[in-house]
Amino acid sequence: MSKQLSRRDFLKLATAGAATSAVLTGCGPASRYVKREPYMKMPEYTYNGLSTYYATTCRECAAACGLVVRTMQGRAIKVEGNAENPVNLGKTCARGQATLQGLYNPDRVENPTQQGRGKGAASQMDWDAAIQVVAEALKNNDPSEIAFLMGTAPDHLFDLVSDLANAIGAPAPVRFGALSMFESRATLSRAAEELFGQSAMPYFDIANSDLVLSFGANFLETWISPVSFTREYAQMRRGKPRKRGYFVQFESRMSQTAAKADEWVPLRPGTEGLVALAIGKLVAEAKDTAVPASFEAIDPAEVARTADVKLETLEHIAQLVVDSEHPLAVPGGTAVGQTNGLATAESVLALNAQFGNYGMTGGVYISPLGPNQDEYHRPASPEEMLNLIWKMKDGKVKVLFIHGVNPVFELPSHLGFLDTLQYVPQVISFATFPDETAVASDYIFPDHHGLESWGYQRAVVSSQPVLSGAQPVISPFFNTRATADVLIAAAQQAGGQFAEALPFADEVAFIQSKLSPLVGDPDGSFLAPEINMFSAYFQQHGGWWKNDPALSAPIASGALTKKLDPGVAEFSGEGEFFFVPFVSPTIGEAGANKPWLQELPDPTTTVTWNTWVEMNPETAHELGIDNDDIVEVMSEAGSVQAAVYLYPAIRPDVIAMPFGQGHTAYGQFAAGRGANPVNILSIHFNAAGDLAFAGVKVNVKKTGRKHELARMEGKVGVYEFRKE
Amino acid sequence: MTSNLELPVFTNNSEAELGGKWGMVVDRDLCTGCQACVAACSMENNVPFVGETDMAYGRGMHWIRVERLWEGLEADYQEVKMTSYQPLMCQQCHNAPCEPVCPVYAAVHSMSEDINLQVYNRCVGTRYCANNCPYQARVFNWRDYTDYRPGNTADNDPSWSVLQNHLNPDVTVRRRGVMEKCTFCIQRIHKAEDTAKSEGRDVRDGEVVPACAQACPANAITFGRIDDPESMVSKAAETSRGSLLLEEMRTQPRVTYLAGGA
Repeated sequence: MSKQLSRRDFLKLATAGAATSAVLTGCGPASRYVKREPYMKMPEYTYNGLSTYYATTCRECAAACGLVVRTMQGRAIKVEGNAENPVNLGKTCARGQATLQGLYNPDRVENPTQQGRGKGAASQMDWDAAIQVVAEALKNNDPSEIAFLMGTAPDHLFDLVSDLANAIGAPAPVRFGALSMFESRATLSRAAEELFGQSAMPYFDIANSDLVLSFGANFLETWISPVSFTREYAQMRRGKPRKRGYFVQFESRMSQTAAKADEWVPLRPGTEGLVALAIGKLVAEAKDTAVPASFEAIDPAEVARTADVKLETLEHIAQLVVDSEHPLAVPGGTAVGQTNGLATAESVLALNAQFGNYGMTGGVYISPLGPNQDEYHRPASPEEMLNLIWKMKDGKVKVLFIHGVNPVFELPSHLGFLDTLQYVPQVISFATFPDETAVASDYIFPDHHGLESWGYQRAVVSSQPVLSGAQPVISPFFNTRATADVLIAAAQQAGGQFAEALPFADEVAFIQSKLSPLVGDPDGSFLAPEINMFSAYFQQHGGWWKNDPALSAPIASGALTKKLDPGVAEFSGEGEFFFVPFVSPTIGEAGANKPWLQELPDPTTTVTWNTWVEMNPETAHELGIDNDDIVEVMSEAGSVQAAVYLYPAIRPDVIAMPFGQGHTAYGQFAAGRGANPVNILSIHFNAAGDLAFAGVKVNVKKTGRKHELARMEGKVGVYEFRKE
Repeated sequence: MTSNLELPVFTNNSEAELGGKWGMVVDRDLCTGCQACVAACSMENNVPFVGETDMAYGRGMHWIRVERLWEGLEADYQEVKMTSYQPLMCQQCHNAPCEPVCPVYAAVHSMSEDINLQVYNRCVGTRYCANNCPYQARVFNWRDYTDYRPGNTADNDPSWSVLQNHLNPDVTVRRRGVMEKCTFCIQRIHKAEDTAKSEGRDVRDGEVVPACAQACPANAITFGRIDDPESMVSKAAETSRGSLLLEEMRTQPRVTYLAGGA
């Protein structure tokens, strides 16, 4: 959709009332916001009774889905998907829909606040004082002792802080998010590096595959970019005229993704890598070809015994592979969240090499970089977070800036982030909501909500390089200020190298400086001759993306000769049960403060508003436990309590709990509700530095108390059944 | 004394009108149970949340819910299967069991669109209609949920009302004692019809998209005119996978479900 615009066209565009976005360029910062106006005095581009739509980017996770937000008299009233954005093509997930309840959340941080780490009363400040605090924190500390901790979104702020840190000689900002921890992002890119020789995000072409073998990858729930994966799943099922794609999931509990599989193979946790290699060998044997070196040492019968699945099941799956045209294997979730996670991910990628699908339709590719990105930056692994924590403990961090992440809640409490904050003289949070980390900070200088913000976000997995653009759809509701503007103002005030590092009038000027390399690129979704017009189009279309796919094929040479030995994962603790924490598909890592997300039934259990413990009915019967009994789940690292949900589709030796609840702060809808399973995780890393979050064994003890879980389904009938 | 009040007469057995107008097809093979439709519906239609306690009492207000059932529970856990997710909303029956039982004509049939209307300001809350609905598609306002939270209402906590800023001005906010249900996003139908009328044309196929279908990442929901054999929804309903829920009850629902699995 390349377009060349004349000046006249641009003026027409700028006044196109209820088009997809308002076009405001070349104005000062104050007029860069949409105004909320009373009926009597409306901005010229709105009409009574007619809605105005603005394209922006969703910030509920880092997938970079485009949104079009319907506004009326300056208030955002409905979130819809941006049909132009290649990531989501007009679709949204439940969390995107509920983002308005974040914007209008009654518990937002309304003013810059001297928080005092929650000790004593918090007091409000004005922004001048706040900027002075930031300026002094930058100026009065040795740059090497300044630390920036950031979330996985938004990317423009990460770029700004990276530039600032780079210019003043501070350590590069650390990015983290609970989703990236549960996605084992470091493991995925490290496995790509080991097998393809390139640290990158692998791209799995689910849409064009006709047989998907998913090793724990929960790609229909929260995994990396769930909206685009769901679309690809739908194409895989019904997008091809002849053949309905087939889907097999290997996972110890039936997740929402596994529920959609034609076959759910509940193997013993930690054996996924072995099973992948066994299937590789069986496929080679069934095809009557030479068994590649990677799979040679594997004995499928032995693997079947170890994994507690039938050998016939594995042989049957190997036959499915032989009979399919485009088989694809995807590693993720609990399969790689193990001590042997890296070897498991490598084994699954090697299995794809055996399928011969590298760089082929329905196969494995390497995701392209974002349009204004020079190299792949993956989020920090939990081991790298531990390094930061050690640095804090050693007194090497004098000031810690935190934006877009809530490590006190998201990191396992055993890592000790909260306790370590006391070694940091100054902690400054830019949180929008009073989350656990913000409450434990010295200051909260609240950033706008995502819908009130400028910015951009790069798509992590997309066949085209995508830069999704964000603009305010509503003027700031409270006395908040964009963190980028605060940092720019503080850097100006600090003067010297700080002012030189961020020589921008405001956030929009910074974003334009990052967009300017794209001006004139002929392969993009639109073409504009200069930056102001480019920015106008960028706002109107909700971003800029390349027209053509830019996937590259991995080099398969070493994948089948590398000696792979995933073995069986090691589990810590003496417990009776394997413990499987998983991210709540509806609440995610930060949705607990949105009441409509709380009230959405969990797709598999239909439980709302709380945390539950999934347990096989047979196991529960042996332990004398029934539905709604509160149990204590104990690991070597600690214990949590929650009510039991008898879940028929889980291995009897596995206990599962959703992550997303158990807040101690974060507003009235989240605080004091449910339990946080990461608090009983002991700290073991895999070879790539990711947490072996599914590598813990636990015991379960009945407390004698009950809590009626508020579930959508009826309680009579189905769960009465029990084998005597 | 005889009344000369002219009460509306509701008949829905006229063969001529059997064609119907708006309908929906839900592909259960594509639905991943992600709840995006439920969230989108609630945001579009000002559906309130009720909190944990009332949810546990079964008072959730969802206009659309994603059902799932189990198969193979008598066998070993490895054989347990979840049935395909089934998003269930008001089926907009042509022959609707909810309508004749309403003593105040709050549940009425729109002959022009062939969908079931709920007239909120007639409803007196007998809940007969919900009793009679075989799909359990109707939900009742047990409280003034829009302002509701125990001990904390808009009256004593002004900050609470901040949440109401997203309310859709095109949709009535319902009060306590009123029954409600899916309307097929009738505000969107009317908007599209108005636009088409002012432009002197018919509503185009695909012009009306209810909030659930608009959000659905798997594109599992198709909506349109089922009296137009060329429309996407009519074509989707034709496949051999199609079936109507509780068809044997002769409710003539307007929603066709396509079977999941192979």
